[in-house]
Amino acid sequence: MRLKKISLGPKLYIAVCFLFFYLPIAVTMFFSFNSSKSLTHFTGFSLHWYEKLLTDQNILAAVYVSISIAIFATIISTILGTITAIGLSKSRKVLKEWILNVNNIPIMNPDIVTAISLMILFTSARLERGYITMLLAHIAFCTPFVITSVYPKVRSMDHNLADVAMDLGATPFQALTKVIVPLLRPGIFAGMLLAFTMSLDDFVVSYFVTGNGVANISIIVYNMTKRINPTINALSTLLILAVVIVLVGVNLWPAIKAKRRGNPKYQAVTKRKSKKLVPILAGICIIAVGITCVTQFSAISSKQVLRVFNSGEYIDMDLIAQFEDEYDCQVVYETFDSNESMYTKLQSGATYDILVPSDYMIERLIEEDYLKKIDWKQITHKDDIIPSLMENNEFDPKNEYTVPYYWGTVGILYDTNVVDEEDLAQGWEILRNPKYKGDLYMYDSERDSFMIALKTLGYSMNTTNKKELLEAYDWLIQQRETMDPVYVGDDVMDNMISGNKALAVVYSGDGTYVIDENEDMSFFVPEQGSNVWTDGMVVTKDCNNMELACQFMDFFLDKEVAIQNTEYIGYDSAVQSVYDYYREGDYAGNPGCGPDTSNPLNEVFRNQPQKIKAFTANLWTKIKSHK
Amino acid sequence: MRHFKGLAYPYVAWSFALIALPLLLIVLYAVTSGDNSLITIHFTLDNFRKIGDPVYMNVFAKSLEIGLIVTLICLVMAYPLAYIISWFNDEIQSILILVVTIPMWINTLLRTYAWVSLLSDNGLISQLLGIVGIHAPAMMYTNFAVIIGLVCDLLPFMVIPIHTSLTKMDYSLVEAAKDLGANNFQTFRKVILKLSLPGVINGVTLVFLCSISSFVVPVLLGGRQYMLIGNLIEQQFISIGDWNFGSAISVLLAIAILIVMSLMRRIDPDEKGEK
Repeated sequence: MRLKKISLGPKLYIAVCFLFFYLPIAVTMFFSFNSSKSLTHFTGFSLHWYEKLLTDQNILAAVYVSISIAIFATIISTILGTITAIGLSKSRKVLKEWILNVNNIPIMNPDIVTAISLMILFTSARLERGYITMLLAHIAFCTPFVITSVYPKVRSMDHNLADVAMDLGATPFQALTKVIVPLLRPGIFAGMLLAFTMSLDDFVVSYFVTGNGVANISIIVYNMTKRINPTINALSTLLILAVVIVLVGVNLWPAIKAKRRGNPKYQAVTKRKSKKLVPILAGICIIAVGITCVTQFSAISSKQVLRVFNSGEYIDMDLIAQFEDEYDCQVVYETFDSNESMYTKLQSGATYDILVPSDYMIERLIEEDYLKKIDWKQITHKDDIIPSLMENNEFDPKNEYTVPYYWGTVGILYDTNVVDEEDLAQGWEILRNPKYKGDLYMYDSERDSFMIALKTLGYSMNTTNKKELLEAYDWLIQQRETMDPVYVGDDVMDNMISGNKALAVVYSGDGTYVIDENEDMSFFVPEQGSNVWTDGMVVTKDCNNMELACQFMDFFLDKEVAIQNTEYIGYDSAVQSVYDYYREGDYAGNPGCGPDTSNPLNEVFRNQPQKIKAFTANLWTKIKSHK
Repeated sequence: MRHFKGLAYPYVAWSFALIALPLLLIVLYAVTSGDNSLITIHFTLDNFRKIGDPVYMNVFAKSLEIGLIVTLICLVMAYPLAYIISWFNDEIQSILILVVTIPMWINTLLRTYAWVSLLSDNGLISQLLGIVGIHAPAMMYTNFAVIIGLVCDLLPFMVIPIHTSLTKMDYSLVEAAKDLGANNFQTFRKVILKLSLPGVINGVTLVFLCSISSFVVPVLLGGRQYMLIGNLIEQQFISIGDWNFGSAISVLLAIAILIVMSLMRRIDPDEKGEK
């Protein structure tokens, strides 16, 4: 606008700001061409990850969901928001206040609250969760942004113009479309852009209101974070290229054309044309999305469907595709990040056929009547399940509900270059050894953290004695104060592979995985005892197709399948023949493989009485919030 | 214009069903206890009393601190950026604004992950510094990482409203000020800054709200022991399962924010100008 010449300083400042914006994106793009998984060392150029991306049905489906939801939500919320903003300026004061205040709620509320509140709403309204609920939610949080960007324009607009138009014979609709909307265009456009961005970028709300395997890009990314996955880098590279090409193209095309002709009149013409281009493009998009919608739904309806809810990165997706082919069915597959979040999802009314929770959660689900007994006659590989996992299971005493899937222990992964072998004798207490201050990861799990403290103090990890729990609490608080530990989730694996810290609490299978990738690491289970866990496949009360559910579980007990699955997951299979295969094969002697459960101090987690659960939960919140 | 009064009605119904009603459900959870089923409902204020514990007060204080720091950094970075952008001619301006917006279209989770690989202990930045001979301190899982992540994530939210209000400003006022003998600095302080205040307020509000309630960025860059209000709420709902306490914190947060918003509105000259 104003200054004739802009000096170098300001230009440099813009450049620095943009560098800050684009640095992470550039890094992502750069390493998407890396031949190895590393995000810090470039080992060679490769298009490997792009190949993987384009063959990954889940990612492609997620891209489709993200984009189509963003388009629909943007269109609907723009229309809704714009007419509301126009109507608002002339509404009675009470109404105006109500809308403006209510409108601020989704903007100012934390996403998580909006998400939970919508989830509760959809649950109480008994809406089946999936694409539609996600779309409704997106419209709900996008519209307020449209209103807030359009409303100021309505206020600053000259209201007489619309009246003049109508005095001159325009119908109200004409006045609206020919006079008011064009005047508001910058505001509408800003609102539209905001809505689209918000919708495309949303994670939290989508995560809570979705169901039936409908996932957008954020959810897929979140679920893939357990292990480094450069496919994601390839995806974001493609996404950004698409965005840049489309946006820059739309913005520059008229200018370039005009320059070529060198005719200012032509510029005006093309500008008008490009305005028409937007609705045309939007129309094409809607039609394309509509067609894919229809084809997708018709494809779904013709086949038997099995809904599986499993922990993230806990199955080889190729095997699911294989199962679908063999049994001519469709598997709707969803993942969770902890037993507790799985429970929350169930509690909120989500329905599945098969779940894969851990021991204590299975016990809870049995107690609360969520599960159906398994028809063991249909499990042909029953005899190949490791006998010890089928007997004496306290969480499912008669073994009526659980088909064991994987099992293991919890131990400490350590960097052999940093940690003194002698210190290992301290067992869990090494986690409070000041030598390693600031050099350890704890695992973000309430039960496992308390387990560590309780075992060190010599108590049972299933104690219901509040005094013992309080002692464990003090242990953990003291550790937080003196050791500066970082609590992590599954990102612990990437961090340990890169050797970022010396000690980490991990599950045995994760230990195996890390040691495989980084030879400096080693794993041990402290003598004080540990958690021996079993994850099992269980069938819910909502399952109407026990035959298919049994076929699915049986399929994963098959030796060949289980070996392939184990290769991918890295945990210890519950199948005896697979267990033997690894014990005798290359992995013999690998400390993480074949959990040593001989220690009499080892225990299995039990479901605890509600009161104790609440008591520990409260302590755990305090430990995490402690500063 | 009166003809269009009715246009606001559909949204009244919509906002009740999808905004107010869900919120009422949250409030209901906040003042009740029990196993979250409507049959055994039991009213209580214990959930709010629990928040008084110093541990949780610390979480509130820390969120506030991070929110203020992030907002300040964003403002200091964004205002000059938006201002400089507004100097260019319209075409270049729209391209520059586009460049600011594009990162928002790339998934936040993806962008935050990129920071993980940059900031981690053996990551790119510490390696680069290592080549120069500087031993970089641990950046990952610190305040620094969380602040960088949040600023990078939220900066566009500050730039765009400021830029909007700078461009819609009546430029003849600036010329008038200059004609009347104001120097550049005076013109900026007395005219431009004042006229762009609505944008600043919008930006500050957006960034502040997003930063105090964020939970994904702190989890990824601060570690799971890094507790802001958003994380506390998320933890209550997801891993602890105490929806009542989680709702109580949310309600309190919402009330606190309402107060901040109404204060902000008082400063906003646009609002005063109404009527």
